[in-house]
Amino acid sequence: MSDIAAQRVLKPQDTPDVNTLGPDPRILLAAGNAAMARMLPGAPAGAALGELGQFAGNAQVARFVGQPPAPGGGAPPAPGGGVTSGAHGDSVQDLQVELSRLQASAAPLTEDGKYGPLTEAAVRNFQTGAGIVPVTGVADPVTKAQIDAAFAALPAPVRVVLASGATGTDVGFAQQKLNAVGASPRLIINAIFDGPMLGAVIAYEIAALHRFPTATVDAAMWTALDSGVKGGFLAPEGAGGTQVEQNTTSGTANSLGTQVAGTSLHPFTGVGGLTGGPAVHELQQKLNTAGASPALKDDGAFGPKTLAALRAFQTGRVPPLPATGTADKATWDALDVASPGSLTGAVDRQWTEVVGGATYSMVGAEGSHYSWEIQKTRMLVTAKVTFVGPPPPGAWFGYVPATWNQYQGVDAASGNSLPIDFQMTSGGGGDANQVKVLTGSGRANAGEWYLADPDAKNTIPHEFGHLIGLQDEYQLHPGDYVRVTGHEPPVGDTTGPAGAPAPATAPTPATIATQLQTAMVARSSAGALAATVTAGVRPGAFAQRIVQEYATLATTTVPAVPGVVGPPSVPGKPAVTLTGDLLFDLNAALPDDTDRYETIQVLSYSSGSVMGDQSRVSDPHDHGAQPRHLGEFMAILGRALGGTWEAKRR
Amino acid sequence: MILRLVIADGRQTPAVAESVELSADGTLTGWRSVSPAGVGWFTGKLPAPELTALQALIEAVTPTSPPHPVPRPGAAEEVLELPATGPVSIAGLTPASAPAPTPASAPADADSLDGGVDGAGAWARLAEASRQLIERLTDFPRAAVAVDVASPTTARLVHRGTDPLRLDLGTVAVRVTAWRGYYEPAGDWTGPVTGPAEVEAGPGWTYDLPIERAPDDTTVHLAVNFAVLSGSTKVPVQARFTPVPK
Repeated sequence: MSDIAAQRVLKPQDTPDVNTLGPDPRILLAAGNAAMARMLPGAPAGAALGELGQFAGNAQVARFVGQPPAPGGGAPPAPGGGVTSGAHGDSVQDLQVELSRLQASAAPLTEDGKYGPLTEAAVRNFQTGAGIVPVTGVADPVTKAQIDAAFAALPAPVRVVLASGATGTDVGFAQQKLNAVGASPRLIINAIFDGPMLGAVIAYEIAALHRFPTATVDAAMWTALDSGVKGGFLAPEGAGGTQVEQNTTSGTANSLGTQVAGTSLHPFTGVGGLTGGPAVHELQQKLNTAGASPALKDDGAFGPKTLAALRAFQTGRVPPLPATGTADKATWDALDVASPGSLTGAVDRQWTEVVGGATYSMVGAEGSHYSWEIQKTRMLVTAKVTFVGPPPPGAWFGYVPATWNQYQGVDAASGNSLPIDFQMTSGGGGDANQVKVLTGSGRANAGEWYLADPDAKNTIPHEFGHLIGLQDEYQLHPGDYVRVTGHEPPVGDTTGPAGAPAPATAPTPATIATQLQTAMVARSSAGALAATVTAGVRPGAFAQRIVQEYATLATTTVPAVPGVVGPPSVPGKPAVTLTGDLLFDLNAALPDDTDRYETIQVLSYSSGSVMGDQSRVSDPHDHGAQPRHLGEFMAILGRALGGTWEAKRR
Repeated sequence: MILRLVIADGRQTPAVAESVELSADGTLTGWRSVSPAGVGWFTGKLPAPELTALQALIEAVTPTSPPHPVPRPGAAEEVLELPATGPVSIAGLTPASAPAPTPASAPADADSLDGGVDGAGAWARLAEASRQLIERLTDFPRAAVAVDVASPTTARLVHRGTDPLRLDLGTVAVRVTAWRGYYEPAGDWTGPVTGPAEVEAGPGWTYDLPIERAPDDTTVHLAVNFAVLSGSTKVPVQARFTPVPK
């Protein structure tokens, strides 16, 4: 699990030699070695803590202070009664987690919460192995109790003490966990106990463990980190013992694209805007909550009474808003303050994303338009689409609920729950998305879908995700990855390419970074691929060291090149000044071909979810629609109905 | 050259890497890598009215600054080159995305948008016309290969055009997709075929590939991956057959 031989384990009496703190002493900036030396001989006094805070970064210490360990780790809660083929829900997903870890399944089970043949076979295997008779394949209470017990008895991950200069997978897991508890700035998951990690470790020791810093991740620190943050270890799954990295949860995911600054989430409504539909319903409901008198009929039609109530609301603000009769951004902002919740709503989301170093957007008329309605028995989310060109196949409309209708909102405090249903409808108007339907097959994008797409059952749900404001989850920078997925970037590969036979040696991250820059200057995506993928670079910690090394190189300007008709056809490129951000630069300097795509793939992070890259990333823990993708609708339920809602499998 | 458009998308396999170049006399040349109408080299001459219309669009954008559109998620790279501008990214630039023409009475700062809103509209119209040129190319095959269904169990590569081209059929991947009614999926089959590592395809040349028989009441689509040899370069391509379902 870890490269123990390469780690230097500090004994308790050791005094860290801060002059030889491993490969990256560059961050020893603030308090410096003297402060460290004063603090190490005894318990830290207040002044010393202050200096250490300066050393590690006061903000970082402050983030760690007072953070109680979050619940996590261990076995998930036991489901209720027995479950059997055809069952579904969180309890089935929990069962799948346990069966995979107990290696009762043939291979790691896809944790989809559906009790299918593979889950049933795994239950049978477990029953056989545990001597439970009869072997039914049903997770009856007796079987489930034994599964729970066996899962709870699984050994905890073996942790090794880490000190400055250490490398290996465990270092990466510690970095993940330090990030998850608030390391600031975030650590790059490079699997090297380097200067930035040292600062984070010391800060955590002071602020969370309340102890004199040892500058090590020792058993006590591991215990604290493991109890506070789920995941962060490798575990064998399935009968073949496939080593699967257990995702490290980190904060609350926000899977939505980055909203364009200054834009409203509400469509312009009323005079000059939408005069019917969910937006008007929302307006009427909010005006009523804000005290419209007489109360408006909630009919979704913008008539004279709604106009009058809207103008009255506008003039009634302090200071008054222009009585335009149009619910513009300022008016909606005021309405949202006066009436946070409503049972119906319309969203006009203008957003951008950075994927593979390139910026994409859905803005203006091409923004994401969708609506929602909280009904008696469900919440219904609708994206209306104006299809331009040939009519869309009926199957497309079925693919959306097949992928997306997996969850319900649950308010644990009240016990209330509400299924969340998604639908795509065909229609026109200012609150519709526009999609061009193209004949034949090809690679779809958010605005162009192909009639004969053989993978439409995956494509359409992905593109539908964009229509409800969700961004892509592939080829991301680390910060975007953790924001979007809610878990830390995986540690992945820590060692990099193997060396060629002696006397040649394996290329270092610095060497590869230089080769990449050379390839960019030559506009050679083949050169970039050769330096990385072909050489054996895989996604993870080693690849991130390349990204780090690249950032230290002197920048240069790559001259413009004209396009080439080919073959192969190569787009012209304007001159580009390299920025030091490897993904941005690869995108800007190299042509959009397979070699560039695969190069960026190993230097970035991708999820296996419906919004990720399902064809390249297989992750049994993170696939299909995920609870995080419903976060916006959980917040809406909270505003409308009160309580704290979570998306749970249904 | 008065116009060159290259469309590239490395996310799919084989990558889309297609181009078209237009000369002042209307000569159209280009390369298609992923196409239902054939892959390979294409050369022809645009009728005078089409050429005139394109020249007018080019003249309309020449005095304006190029736009900086931000494409929708998943969009391919599209780079348009004019002698006066050099490479300009047009991915995401469509008539729908361009602002409406500005009235003459618009305030002076309306041109703070890239190229001015009128300029953006002109660029969007030129972008659309340029994309159409890539489609237009396939009317003029010079040395190309298309795929067709020869029988329920046979796909057939067919040479198109007047000039020969060299192919690598050492590793051919065939995907058959069957559709029933209006694009209702009715089955999918993929299979590798091993053929000659190098073969010259000229006028009249065909090459049969065995495929799985699809149900009789379905329409079959084909996607055949192979490589075209250009000098010492092996260029991956995909020929497609995508008729409208019965």
